[in-house]
Amino acid sequence: MTEVIAQSHMRHWRQDVRLIALMLGGALVTVYILAPFCWLLLSSFMHEQDALSVPPHWIPKNPTLSNYLSFFNPSETRAVVGSRAIEQTLPGMLNSFIAAVGTAVVNLVLGTLAGYSLARFKFRGRGALLGIYLGSRMLPGIALIVPLYLTIKAFGLLDHLVALIATYVTFTLPFTIWLLKNYFQAIPRSLEEAALIDGCTWLQMMVKVLLPTALPGLIAAAMFAFMTAWNDYLFAVILTSTTASKTMPVVVAGFATDVTTERTLMATSGVLAIIPPLVLAFLFQRLIVQGLTSGAVKD
Amino acid sequence: MTVLSGIKVKGRERRRGAGQVGYDRPRFALLLNAPAMIAIFLLAGYPIVYSAVISLHKYNLKRPRVFDFVGLGNYLELLESPEFWSALWITVEYTLLVVSLVVVLGIGIALLLNRHFPGRGIVRTLILVPWAIPPVVNGMMWQWIYDSKVGALNGLLKSLHIITEYRGWLSEPTSALLALVFADVWNMVPLAVIILLAALQRIPGELYDAGRVDGASSFQLFRYVTFPWLAQALLLVLILQTMSAIRSFDVIYVLTAGGPGTATTTLTWKTYLTTFDSLDFGLGNAYAYMVSIITLGLALIYFRILYRRGDFET
Repeated sequence: MTEVIAQSHMRHWRQDVRLIALMLGGALVTVYILAPFCWLLLSSFMHEQDALSVPPHWIPKNPTLSNYLSFFNPSETRAVVGSRAIEQTLPGMLNSFIAAVGTAVVNLVLGTLAGYSLARFKFRGRGALLGIYLGSRMLPGIALIVPLYLTIKAFGLLDHLVALIATYVTFTLPFTIWLLKNYFQAIPRSLEEAALIDGCTWLQMMVKVLLPTALPGLIAAAMFAFMTAWNDYLFAVILTSTTASKTMPVVVAGFATDVTTERTLMATSGVLAIIPPLVLAFLFQRLIVQGLTSGAVKD
Repeated sequence: MTVLSGIKVKGRERRRGAGQVGYDRPRFALLLNAPAMIAIFLLAGYPIVYSAVISLHKYNLKRPRVFDFVGLGNYLELLESPEFWSALWITVEYTLLVVSLVVVLGIGIALLLNRHFPGRGIVRTLILVPWAIPPVVNGMMWQWIYDSKVGALNGLLKSLHIITEYRGWLSEPTSALLALVFADVWNMVPLAVIILLAALQRIPGELYDAGRVDGASSFQLFRYVTFPWLAQALLLVLILQTMSAIRSFDVIYVLTAGGPGTATTTLTWKTYLTTFDSLDFGLGNAYAYMVSIITLGLALIYFRILYRRGDFET
């Protein structure tokens, strides 16, 4: 009897230890993930002299919003240091936003058409198309940048957001097509057939039946396109030159490579650049996971 | 109208048991692909050919009038220059380090997050944070952390008495490469975790129960149950990470700019320097082509493996 009790005690004790070890691991991972980001975030609320203190003050002594406010009022107090980048931050946010949303929208339209045909039709050249889409996903951007630059220059579209959007669409479309193809394939055909038999045209069927059903896939595709466009630096730095089209990563890189910049302002611009993708990531967490793993894991 | 009737026919075909719908709609299918194909041909297909043409010419923006055909001259020049081999070697080092660290950390974190413990949901959400951060911002953030005079890393290590004096992490070849690798890994790990975790969640629990009944050790369970189920996802992580490591540009630009010296000058960075710093478009495009060939070659190998395993579906 006592032996049995001792054994069950032993088992409980073991389970507790295991649970504590797991939680410890979880805490460790959390610190790894959050610590660098938190330091950036905290710096953005610091006064410059506090941020430059040795040893560092981990928690801002008297937190301030002045870094954030100076972006709205670039001509004011701190115009001497990093002023160019300050002026460019808000237009940069706006440009990034337009480029990213534009990329997402065009992606959805073109991606839906191509993805649908690949999901539903068997035709000559289907394999070749799939190969081209897959292959163009593999091309490194750096390999295309010179001819792209020359082409866009020839069109007179340097420093125009249109050129950026067109470029981003080209680079995100293959992934969008694959993603949507997989989504459409998972939707039963009977749904479409019923709508067509009820007298819908193909377009009506798409808009009223198929697309609403595939909504999670569409959102996921739009989000990935948005993020790729938002994150891009290589194309943006080559194809843009003024606030007419400079995007946020270019502005942030300008801060980071400028030694005269105030570090707290630099950190703040970084935080601003992170907000939109972070909000999207949290909002659509489950869709991201689904999207990233579609095609990765077989059903 | 023809479109509509075509699709209705398809439906009937299927009921007959053909299984394939739209056999007779090749034109419509191609039409649907036309916009995407035009975009891709115009802004990816044409440039890649154009790039090949430039790489066969002597073309330097410092002397823009000269555009002389030199055949494979640029490639020969490249293969004979020690700079190319140095950049290739650094790319290999960098890629191997990033990929292996991402895989090890990715598997570790995914296995952890696959177990039940309080707070797991929160960690699963937070793992998205590094993923959402643009590479440029990531580079800037780590530059701030690595700073030799006021950086948080120096401050932390000194207060823990691991180092006695502040160091310039980015000014010494080995530590600069490692610092770069670490920054990139931090940015990339979440993607691996998400993919691997999704694969882990699909392993039927009965397999582990059966294994335990047969007296398998934890290692054996991992080797014979977990690993085979993970293999496909792992391969995908390998592909994605290798490609992204070879292409790494933003983080290098912000963090090290290829330095100190050429300690972090990868092929991609060398391509950028040759093209936009030396303005040697001919040689730059030859570099760019080498990067493409290496990337596509690796991609082909990976896809062959996937295909052989029967994992690759169209």
